[in-house]
Amino acid sequence: MSKVWESNFSFIANNVRPSPIREMLAVIKQPGMISFAGGMPAPEVFPVDKFYEGAHILKDDGANLLQYGTTEGYPPLKEFLAQWTSPRMGRVASQEEMLITTGSQQALDLFSWCLLDKGDSVITENPTYLAALTTFYNHGANFIGIPMDGDGMQVDLIPEALERAKREGRKVKFIYTIVNFQNPAGATMSVERRKKLVEISHRYNIPVFEDDPYGYVRYDGEHLPSLFSFDDQGGILYAGSFSKILSPGTRIGWVTGNKEIIRKMTVFKQTTDLCSSTVTQALVAEYCKNGYLEGHLPVIIDNYRIKRDAMEESFKRHLAPRGVTWVKPEGGFFYWLHFPTVKSDDLFKKAIEKKVAFVIGDPFCVKEGDGCHHARLCYTFPSPEIIEEGVKRIAEAMDELAITATA
Amino acid sequence: MTGYLNDLFSAAALRQKASPIRDLFKVIRQPGMISFAGGMPDPEIFPVEQFYDSAGILSREGRDILQYGMTDGYPPLKEFLISWTRERMGRPVSPEQMLITSGSIQVADLLTLATIDEGDFVITEAPTFLGTTLDMYNHGARFLCVPCDSDGMQVDMIPAQVERTRSEGNKVKYIYTIANFQNPLGCTMSLKRRKKLVEIAQKYNLVILEDDPYGYVRFEGDPMPSLYSLDDKGIVLYAGSFSKILAPGTRVGWCVGNADLIRKMTVFKQGVDTSTSIVSQAIVYEYCRKGYLDEFLPKIIAHYRKKRNGMEASLQAYLPKGEANYNKPSGGFFYWLNTPAIKTDDLFDKAIEKKVAFVKGEPFFPNGGGEHEFRMCYTFASPEQTEEGIKRLGEAMKELL
Repeated sequence: MSKVWESNFSFIANNVRPSPIREMLAVIKQPGMISFAGGMPAPEVFPVDKFYEGAHILKDDGANLLQYGTTEGYPPLKEFLAQWTSPRMGRVASQEEMLITTGSQQALDLFSWCLLDKGDSVITENPTYLAALTTFYNHGANFIGIPMDGDGMQVDLIPEALERAKREGRKVKFIYTIVNFQNPAGATMSVERRKKLVEISHRYNIPVFEDDPYGYVRYDGEHLPSLFSFDDQGGILYAGSFSKILSPGTRIGWVTGNKEIIRKMTVFKQTTDLCSSTVTQALVAEYCKNGYLEGHLPVIIDNYRIKRDAMEESFKRHLAPRGVTWVKPEGGFFYWLHFPTVKSDDLFKKAIEKKVAFVIGDPFCVKEGDGCHHARLCYTFPSPEIIEEGVKRIAEAMDELAITATA
Repeated sequence: MTGYLNDLFSAAALRQKASPIRDLFKVIRQPGMISFAGGMPDPEIFPVEQFYDSAGILSREGRDILQYGMTDGYPPLKEFLISWTRERMGRPVSPEQMLITSGSIQVADLLTLATIDEGDFVITEAPTFLGTTLDMYNHGARFLCVPCDSDGMQVDMIPAQVERTRSEGNKVKYIYTIANFQNPLGCTMSLKRRKKLVEIAQKYNLVILEDDPYGYVRFEGDPMPSLYSLDDKGIVLYAGSFSKILAPGTRVGWCVGNADLIRKMTVFKQGVDTSTSIVSQAIVYEYCRKGYLDEFLPKIIAHYRKKRNGMEASLQAYLPKGEANYNKPSGGFFYWLNTPAIKTDDLFDKAIEKKVAFVKGEPFFPNGGGEHEFRMCYTFASPEQTEEGIKRLGEAMKELL
């Protein structure tokens, strides 16, 4: 390493933690590897032709689309989203309440810019989306984890956590939650808890970041109202994304919330990337306006439901007899497995030998060790046959570890 | 608004300053307004047909392009850029030394994340591009400002400033420079100064961000060697962009530098936006692969040369003699004007009344200044608008004199 760089790195650069999932890409790409690791959509559900159909907009409105766009986002896309999301949001949001972002990942970054100083605390589900933890961490945050059950975050524990934080002199800035088909736990927050969480937000004057990349990918049951729809005080910021309902390669997401926070986030966006690719926003808008978002969504949902069911069956066949437990997700991308008898670190190493990959639980947790008997498995990418084979390999890996342990 | 949010905002949010250029957009869009404000390409010169043609890659490679991509960039685009920029970089670059970014402004954001702790110093030209300095400011950076003359940054002034600042117990982290057709000054750093700057940076253990969005838009003379090519210690991070040589709406830029630094920046990018739009990167790549970049660049340059000449002629014809000083830029997008007898604030208000807009000088100075200076972009307005706009500006000046 060049000395001159070393001596010029910032505190966070010296402490930055790479995403274990992004880092695993090399392992996953080994020939013969079955991967349940990344939260990747299945390429066969990408609406390639329908997406390309909208490309004529690049010709029809090229001079406008190739130019700098407004930081707030491409107006036709915002207008579409305001209408399309209104059932979930409980009303039609105004343009000033929305910002288009470079994936919902950027929403996390911009929101962190607005709220986090070094040493501030964030309340999150434990486990939670690890790239959110990374972003908050890069902005200097520390974490207070709230455990989950089958009904999502145990919000009743939040007041006590807040009181304790206050006593310890910690400044809690916001609550981060993925209410639908949580990543990685798969659980969905009940309506009762949603109402309760909004109440807590009001009572303690603490904003909530409602991250909802999976909400529209529901296999069973009815859609539940968003936290945003229960709030009348502007304390909930809702973040949506096209990554799971269209394509992650577009890197287009959006946020809806209080005008003032949207404005602050917009100003930070001016200097971080100026605006999201106008070219891509226009292609996404055309796709949506042509009715394909609505029309194609069932194709995606059916594809993933079959895979979720296949994984459920494979788990029952191979892992339940070995003491593994889980919550069946009603939507989304993930199973979160609990292995009472093995450490997921050891299992991971053995599994890689057997050419099957998943993500170990620890990086999703706010404290080291909290996830050491857990693992996240994504079922959207491989076919049902591959899922069965991969789960079988995991079971074999467990058995081999058990033999080593007794030997 | 929930009032309590005010108590929760971060220090960065409380001190945040909006980009005056972005906020000018509303003014610019008033009917009848002639704008020399934003550094915007001329939509007339956008290669719309060729770009649309390049979008065919979405049909052929859709399954790959619509998927998550690598954080460090779409590999074919990186490969193309490595070979296309070879001459300017002066030596071969490996893929590990290159990162694709969401516009070149993201390069500054990621480098600043990687180097600046609250209160650290950045050395900049003054005046300089305010988008990047606002980002540095948001990260808590402070500034050491170095003036420029027609040979660019007066690099000889750097050592004394660094020594003084360090002797006061502060950290000076990097030097930010736009060596070619500087924004807003239009000046280009001489070869002698380039060598000197690299020498100083090496001696004082500083790194350099060489921001080069305009380098390929040269009207006259030969290209100068990049700072990157003059450095043998890996201390220069070079930033390039498609905004001025293809289209800003793609939001695709890149940087080249030390592999360890690129690695750090890539990890930060994972948390900032995961990757730059693969859709956008793939269309840009296809445009380049088909040879459109090389085919079109001379047309863009010729087009802007003509516009620069048009502005030069109008400035000479319509501004009150001896009341405005400026240098003719040999590339890039901007004129920088100094009006010793008129305050820019007054001129701006008068100009807006007359429906002509520019950017005031003050925000280009991180530590203040520029009360009698302003920036004019010549690439966006049509030749007729340019003549009419400068006529109006001349009238505004006369009224204020």
